[in-house]
Amino acid sequence: MELKMDDLTKEFGKFTAVDHISLTMTNGVYGLLGINGAGKTTLMRMLCTLLRPTVGNIYCNGRDIFEMDSEYRKLLGYLPQEFGFYPEFTVQDYLLYIAALKGIRPAVARKRVRELLEKVGLAKAAGKKMKKLSGGMKRRAGIAQAMLNDPKILILDEPTAGLDPNERIRFRNLISELSEERLVLLSTHIVSDVEYIANEIWLMGEGTILHRGSVEEIIASMPENVWECSVKKDQVAAYMRNYKISNMKTEPEGAALRIISRDRPAESAKRAEASLEDVFLYYFGENAKSEAEEIG
Amino acid sequence: MVWFEIKKIFSRTGNKIALLLLAALLSLTCFLTVGSVEYVDEQGESASGIEAARHLREDKNQWAGEITEEVLLKVLQRDAEINASEEYLSKDVQENNKAYAKKQGFSDIRDMLNHAFTPFREYDYYRVDSLTAKEAARFYEQRVVVLMDWLNSDEAKDRYSEEEKNFIITKYRELQTPLYYEYADGWKAFAEYAPTIIMLTVLILAFPIAGVFANEFQCRAESIFFSARLGRNKAVRSKIYAGIWIITGIYWTVIFWYSAVVLGILGTDGAECAIQTSLGGWKSFYHITNLQNYFLIVGGGYLGSLFILTLVMFLSARTHSMVLPVTVPFILLFLPSFLSNLPVLSEVLGLWPDQLLQMGQTVCMFHLYQVGNKVVGAVPIIMILYPVLTCVLLPLLYRIYSRTEVK
Ligand SMILES: Nc1ncnc2c1ncn2[C@@H]1O[C@H](COP(=O)(O)OP(=O)(O)OP(=O)(O)O)[C@@H](O)[C@H]1O
Ligand SMILES: [Mg+2]
Repeated sequence: MELKMDDLTKEFGKFTAVDHISLTMTNGVYGLLGINGAGKTTLMRMLCTLLRPTVGNIYCNGRDIFEMDSEYRKLLGYLPQEFGFYPEFTVQDYLLYIAALKGIRPAVARKRVRELLEKVGLAKAAGKKMKKLSGGMKRRAGIAQAMLNDPKILILDEPTAGLDPNERIRFRNLISELSEERLVLLSTHIVSDVEYIANEIWLMGEGTILHRGSVEEIIASMPENVWECSVKKDQVAAYMRNYKISNMKTEPEGAALRIISRDRPAESAKRAEASLEDVFLYYFGENAKSEAEEIG
Repeated sequence: MVWFEIKKIFSRTGNKIALLLLAALLSLTCFLTVGSVEYVDEQGESASGIEAARHLREDKNQWAGEITEEVLLKVLQRDAEINASEEYLSKDVQENNKAYAKKQGFSDIRDMLNHAFTPFREYDYYRVDSLTAKEAARFYEQRVVVLMDWLNSDEAKDRYSEEEKNFIITKYRELQTPLYYEYADGWKAFAEYAPTIIMLTVLILAFPIAGVFANEFQCRAESIFFSARLGRNKAVRSKIYAGIWIITGIYWTVIFWYSAVVLGILGTDGAECAIQTSLGGWKSFYHITNLQNYFLIVGGGYLGSLFILTLVMFLSARTHSMVLPVTVPFILLFLPSFLSNLPVLSEVLGLWPDQLLQMGQTVCMFHLYQVGNKVVGAVPIIMILYPVLTCVLLPLLYRIYSRTEVK
């Protein structure tokens, strides 16, 4: 399976949401990492034939996906970032309906729905109405519908948004399990979501892919170092002003800081190993930080 | 998949309520229709219902048969006798009602006579009372005479071309006389009230029908829908089928129950009588029987509903919302009553889709259209025009929805 974006661009009026992206994906998990408004959803919508590119093309094994039309969508599973269900449908009916939309024969669909409900842990809720599901259960139903046709291309737009930490870990494992033998593109602004499961990370900002590579490569791409040091209370403000602070832990005397800087920021500072989180912060700066804090 | 679409619509509480409302309005309309046929008994008391209809039928069917000169003279005679009676001359309303009770049997023929001898645009209930036997002999000719007088009047003179005038006059002369008469109040009441229930059905159905295409957006399920394999072809067709199924199923259910109740209670007698044997139909230039009129009403109603509700589907597919689509039927159906006093629009309004929903009235209208030197009435035009427009709208609807972009 090969998905190739060629000069892919989407403009909304004067605003360019996706800016001339040319990249190729093959089987494996791609983590699309970017802050709010980076253009992740717009990119994914084009990959799902929901939006037509202003410029450029997308090829699946060499054929234009918009020309392939339903033949392409047959290969596709999509979990949108924001989506709803038919509130009065039961989980089972909902999945059977989506199976019909995906052109799966009823007998096959029934079996497939049962298997997937088991897999995503919704077997007990099969008869529940969609409107009565919790946020986490809805996400599970969402991933189940995406998997119904056993897609060769799986596109997940912030699949872990709104989940509690435990649920997020379970979800991550589920995705990792489902990602074998497929091309998976997963977007998030939470570094830990993709740190362990992605074969390749794409850092996206302002409509373009700024950096791409394995976690190690991305980390190595950062030209600065990571330092850890403890500072006194009255110095904290000054450090915050002068350095990129990737993490801060309050201590009785002051605070333990994790600082991104080319040079040693203080005598007592020790070199630390850079993490993906540090890199994300380095590239996306203050915007990213406020989000990192929000997540806790 | 069609089944899922229908289920999606009727699983919504709002749409279930709409159906209940429609059922309630249907019952009410049945009640009003049946109640509109009254029988006045010898004591001068009015009643309606099965019994009343039976009595009325007995009374009227004493006059059943061809309306010949002989019959007309008998009507004049009976009318004069009753007019001379104590009850009729009394100042007491109850007594007057007793007199009316005696006229009931030939009241329809009386109405026709009144029409035949008053100017086209007027109606004089007491005209019969002063009618001479000599005049009554010209009964059928009078229908044409009154028409011609009107066509030459200031009101109509410039409204119609010579061809159009000739067309109606020729039509009028084609009426087979003498007319056959019998009790037919079931059909007449049906024709009178059918537009009410048909319009209510369309207005209420607009809600579930607008939902067929708008609900993906309301439920925010459109991303999954359109990214699914069949989301831009078969699923869209299924929605269209679901819409047509809902319209067809509910329309004919309503018509079935309305016909069953109204004709069941008031009777199906008089199916073969011409519509000209009634107060409303006397002037119509469409020479059809009550039964044909019935089929025209229910058939036209169906074609009209199909067109208006297809338009609703189209608009909801286009706007992704329900607001505009559900208001459009209201506008289509109520606009004509606001614009009807503008003579310029008369020709357009004669072909307005509301005409299909009230065929019983439409056949009594004088909207004529001329192409070259061929003249046609509005009925055949709208019976062809709207099905054609529906057939044009459906592929457009498919196209527009299957190309939806999710932004
Ligand atoms: N339909 C639209 N019309 C106009 N602008 C749009 C539209 N959709 C997206 N945008 C703009 O394009 C940019 C990218 O939006 P997009 O939703 O792709 O970002 P994102 O990376 O998914 O963000 P988030 O993390 O918040 O989901 C944003 O600035 C947004 O305002
Ligand atoms: Mg997004």
